[in-house]
Amino acid sequence: MKTRSYASAFAAPSFLPLATIALAFGIFIVDTVTDLEIAVAALYVTVVLMSVGFCRRRGVIFVSSTCIVLTILSYLLTSTGAPRAGLINCAISLVAIAATTFLALKIKSAETAVYEARAQLAHMARVTTLGELAASIAHEVSQPLTAITASASACSRWVAEQPPNIEKARQALDRIAKDANRAGEVIGRVRSLIKKTPPQMEWLNINEAIRDVVAMTANEIEQNRISFHTKLTGDIPPVLGDRIQLQQVMLNLIINAIEAIAAANGAVRNLLVSSAISESGGILVSIHDTGVGVEPDKLDQLFDAFYTTKVGGMGMGLAICRAIIEAHGGRIWAKQNIPCGAIFQFILPAGGRGAQ
Amino acid sequence: MNQSAVVGAEDAIVFIIDDDSSVRRALEDLLESVKLRVLSFASTQEFLRSSRPDAPACLVLDIRMPGQSGLDFQRELASVNLHLPIIFITGHGDIPMTVQAMKSGAIEFLTKPFREQDLLDAIQLGIEKDRARRQDATIIAELRRRFAELSPGERKVMTPVVGGRLNKQIAAELGVSEITVKVRRAHVLQKMQAQALADLIKMAQALKVS
Repeated sequence: MKTRSYASAFAAPSFLPLATIALAFGIFIVDTVTDLEIAVAALYVTVVLMSVGFCRRRGVIFVSSTCIVLTILSYLLTSTGAPRAGLINCAISLVAIAATTFLALKIKSAETAVYEARAQLAHMARVTTLGELAASIAHEVSQPLTAITASASACSRWVAEQPPNIEKARQALDRIAKDANRAGEVIGRVRSLIKKTPPQMEWLNINEAIRDVVAMTANEIEQNRISFHTKLTGDIPPVLGDRIQLQQVMLNLIINAIEAIAAANGAVRNLLVSSAISESGGILVSIHDTGVGVEPDKLDQLFDAFYTTKVGGMGMGLAICRAIIEAHGGRIWAKQNIPCGAIFQFILPAGGRGAQ
Repeated sequence: MNQSAVVGAEDAIVFIIDDDSSVRRALEDLLESVKLRVLSFASTQEFLRSSRPDAPACLVLDIRMPGQSGLDFQRELASVNLHLPIIFITGHGDIPMTVQAMKSGAIEFLTKPFREQDLLDAIQLGIEKDRARRQDATIIAELRRRFAELSPGERKVMTPVVGGRLNKQIAAELGVSEITVKVRRAHVLQKMQAQALADLIKMAQALKVS
């Protein structure tokens, strides 16, 4: 089990930070014991570049400053060699470290921009495609429905006449049946539209998928001053699934959690995403938040289409989540968090059992 | 459901323009079941080409049509002096669209699927409005016909008479005798079929000749 916090400047756990520290220490030792003329300190640029891989902006600056301090310290501690050449070497090393840091930070901000753009895109795609789809379905269905209601009321008038106009009533009923079939065809077309884009099934590591989604939401998490943690089980079996679809589910759940925390606006603002192996051997992903929570009697309706508690919400997000998870042979549910907030969990068959 | 029938509209006619044939047929049947005369069209062009009966009428118009939008058609009708009350029906109406339609004088703006009673109420209102407009138009046409029968001299007298001038003053202004004015004044009242001066003043206002 590994824990990491977005609140700190260091973001990713792996052997990379340890290797970086070891390298910096090694360079320091070698730089100190060798003569002043030998510019080992220039190798600190490697340390700075490595830090880009796991640090955020502040972290890179911290690493770079440490390298500068170590370079100067080595220069002061080294007693052998020509002091003049040593001073020049030391200056060159410092300039190299500074220049590398500058470039590294530029790369970092470009990466951040890419993440922000991706997160925004995911947001927009979620809203616009749903909105457009809903509007066009609404229009397509409203035509036959209009015809059906008009025919039905005409029909009841024909029957109420004295004597009843059976022929007219029968014609109206025929039209009703025809228009009802037409409405059904619209739904059939929507279904076939969904089937046209078959899910791209691949073996994937759920932890990697979680990390990608977390990176996309880093901004929202920071803006809402949320203390964010992940608790990912390291040795997790792979899942057979559509990466984009599963990320869509997690993105939805995490954004919901962020919105719930923002809405509650309490002092405790925790968000925890965890992965685990369930008792049945499936893969369990949980999103715990300390947001506004869900009333116990509403927990079952949450995943129904058009059910929403948000102002301006469409009530499609969780319904789509459920559809995706069930298509992967899994289950999704919600429960109350203690003392406040909600827990959303889904379980996927490990090793792809049950996946199509 | 019979209480919802549109009353006093036996001679009236409802035009339906909707490109969706099943909506068209269903609405046609609904209106026929409440004993309204209906003529339906698949497009605005078809409607304009048709020979329409001369009767109080209103128009049920789908706002989203291929070719010409319902709102454009509303403007076109106004520009060719065709004053039909319009009831818009739409699959997806947004607020600006509704506002524009209502500002341009639409009777009602219904979003599909609508309650049939709302449509029938709107149709009744539209037909009443058209009937009143047609009556006014008939009266004005009759007055114009009567006014056309006046001689040039009689018309010259009518304006100052309606303006409340005395016979003596009118005679002086027109350079004719007071007797002539009196005779022409009597002819005007007779030909315009006005019982009294008050009637004539109203007629002049309707004809805008004062």
